[in-house]
Amino acid sequence: MSTVRRVLERLPLHLAVIGLCLIWLLPTVGLLVSSFRPKDAVFATGWWTVFRFPLDFSQFRLDNYIQVLTAQGLGRAFLNSLTIVIPSTVIPITIAAFAGYAFAWMNFPGRQVLFVIVVGLLVVPLQMTLIPLLRIYNRVGFSGTFLGIWLAHTGYGLPFAVYLLRNFFGSLPKDLFEAAYLDGASPLTAFTRLALPLSVPSLASLAIFQFIWVWNDLLVALIYLGGTEKVAPLTLRLSAMVQSLGQDWHLLTAAAFVSMAVPLLVFFTLQRYFVRGILAGSVKG
Amino acid sequence: MSRRIVGFSLTALTVIGLLLAGCAPQTVTVTIPVKETVEVPVQVTVPVPVSAPKGAVTVLGVWGGSEFEAFAAAVEPFTKETGIGMAFETSREQATVLVTRVQAGNPPDIAILPQPGLLVDLAKMGALVPLENIVDMDQLKKDYAQAWIDLGSYDGHLYGIWFKGALKSLVWYNPKAFQEKGYPVPTTWDEMIALSDRIVADGGTPWCIGLESGAASGWPGTDWIEDIMLRTAGPEVYDQWVNHEIPWTDPAVKRAWELFGQIARNEKYVWGGTTGVLSTNFGDSPRPLFDTPPGCYMHRQASFITGFFPGGVKAGEDYDVFAFPSIDPRWGVPALGAGDVVVMLNDTPEARAFIQYLASPTPHEIWAARGGFLSPHRGVDLKAYPDDLTRKQAQILASAEVFRFDGSDLMPAAVGAGSFWTGVMDYVGGKDLDAVLQAIEKSAQDAYK
Repeated sequence: MSTVRRVLERLPLHLAVIGLCLIWLLPTVGLLVSSFRPKDAVFATGWWTVFRFPLDFSQFRLDNYIQVLTAQGLGRAFLNSLTIVIPSTVIPITIAAFAGYAFAWMNFPGRQVLFVIVVGLLVVPLQMTLIPLLRIYNRVGFSGTFLGIWLAHTGYGLPFAVYLLRNFFGSLPKDLFEAAYLDGASPLTAFTRLALPLSVPSLASLAIFQFIWVWNDLLVALIYLGGTEKVAPLTLRLSAMVQSLGQDWHLLTAAAFVSMAVPLLVFFTLQRYFVRGILAGSVKG
Repeated sequence: MSRRIVGFSLTALTVIGLLLAGCAPQTVTVTIPVKETVEVPVQVTVPVPVSAPKGAVTVLGVWGGSEFEAFAAAVEPFTKETGIGMAFETSREQATVLVTRVQAGNPPDIAILPQPGLLVDLAKMGALVPLENIVDMDQLKKDYAQAWIDLGSYDGHLYGIWFKGALKSLVWYNPKAFQEKGYPVPTTWDEMIALSDRIVADGGTPWCIGLESGAASGWPGTDWIEDIMLRTAGPEVYDQWVNHEIPWTDPAVKRAWELFGQIARNEKYVWGGTTGVLSTNFGDSPRPLFDTPPGCYMHRQASFITGFFPGGVKAGEDYDVFAFPSIDPRWGVPALGAGDVVVMLNDTPEARAFIQYLASPTPHEIWAARGGFLSPHRGVDLKAYPDDLTRKQAQILASAEVFRFDGSDLMPAAVGAGSFWTGVMDYVGGKDLDAVLQAIEKSAQDAYK
């Protein structure tokens, strides 16, 4: 009796949630359906027309995927993307963890001012830095090198990473560190043995953010790395499949899912930390 | 007491921490990375420069997919003969990338630009190498019409060689449908309007127009207006208009818009009505030509539109083309076109050889044979084109007496890639023409300063 009432009471909520999810997912579903349709069908009719004969599997083909996956230089581009993305995720998080801890728990002159400057960098659009930075890179020979793009992504990712981690470390109970110091721990020990293990969730969610941002990046790679086959990441290679006036855009439907595969894998392996990490620092204690 | 609680919570937290660390491979990311960041750079301590090693030429262009493959094939004989390789970068955000690289001091050796406006901008910045002493000017004057040479020049210097052309003054039609209904191919504007009325009377729709093109929506309409303008006011007034020596509110400009509106704003003339015109993607818009019965009978678009036609349709059989007809007999049938121009940004021996090669007919002929390509080069053997239809267009492009470049590409971006586009959308959407022209005029007054 009461369960029926509870179900009825929550029904509007469930309907609203399901409705929102459907609206949210609709474009992606459309993209997915389109990616399995042959070129002429994509151009002739909308993706929703497949649902007129949902059991007619002959309307679905793997052509687009085959064309994307067998494109020349794709394997190389995949490797390039990984070569870029792994250090570009690891370096900023490592630096940000040290910096965040220092900002949260170490006393040194100018701490607040430095922190405000770092946070202020959050609002600097990276497009403004392209030309000056590229000039410096040209002088020191970093342009077109993986090292150069790692440093660029590190710089662009650091303000947010430092900000998030400082707030997380700051929310850890003070007593904890006092106790550690009383027991004779150095700041480094307190950081590695205490702060880091406790911050796994926020480190993981930060890793997801940074990974996806770098993986999807087109502009930064285009400017600092260039689009030659030797160094171009997946995004550049995929966008080069479309011709100058947008002919063959149907290939991008499949390309989108090919490119999505790796970030999805990362997300699902790290997702249990994700929600916890988002809440990082929101509740004290 | 408090000490014990702290101690307890400390152990508890450490245990939790250890548990977390135990079940979470992510802690590893904090320790291993350090190793990795030390290790990986070792492989790359010798930086891989963007500028390819000696004996190669770096090229930045907008061609992707099969366009790039065709260009690569066209360059192959050059590489075979000279041993100079090509490192080609595709970027559809070419203007941004190129200007950034130029300002930062590492431009590519060669760039292939889809618009002369960018050539002028780069020449003004001093980023381009003059080509007079690199290519044989006498030969070049034989190979290219003066109009093309002028378009590749700025301030008395030659900066660009035109490689790929497009002819815009074309109306595509379905010859089978025309034959079936006994429709004649119109040779004047009045005949074309008469034919349109006849199609409407027969219950059909004469035109397919699609203006949607993402952020560039409206550009197909600018081509219409330019083509009409060339035919109603003549090339000189057209040049004045492009250079903003006459205002947008000039009667000659207004008349061109009105004639465009006569077709595009006529609900009975256009497939899907004006809503269809505004919301159909330019690449999808010619498709109804091939429906049975045809959704529409005529489509005005440049030569490259064949790349968007459905697979399996044959040139000459399923589609044919006639020149956008004359309006005022005084101005005849001029040709409106566009193209890609090759410019040089680094003066290296490899880049010189590359430019010289692209100025010869060979690479033009190789791409021509693969289709989807027109060359403004007169030395190109017309036999190289895959079919009669392309041959016809190539001939018009290389030999047109009155040839003008797509005006919106020559105007400052704020107009030619801004208010002109939006003006077309507003006008077809039903806005008053005078208001539209005044709005464009206002932006032009700022842009041409």
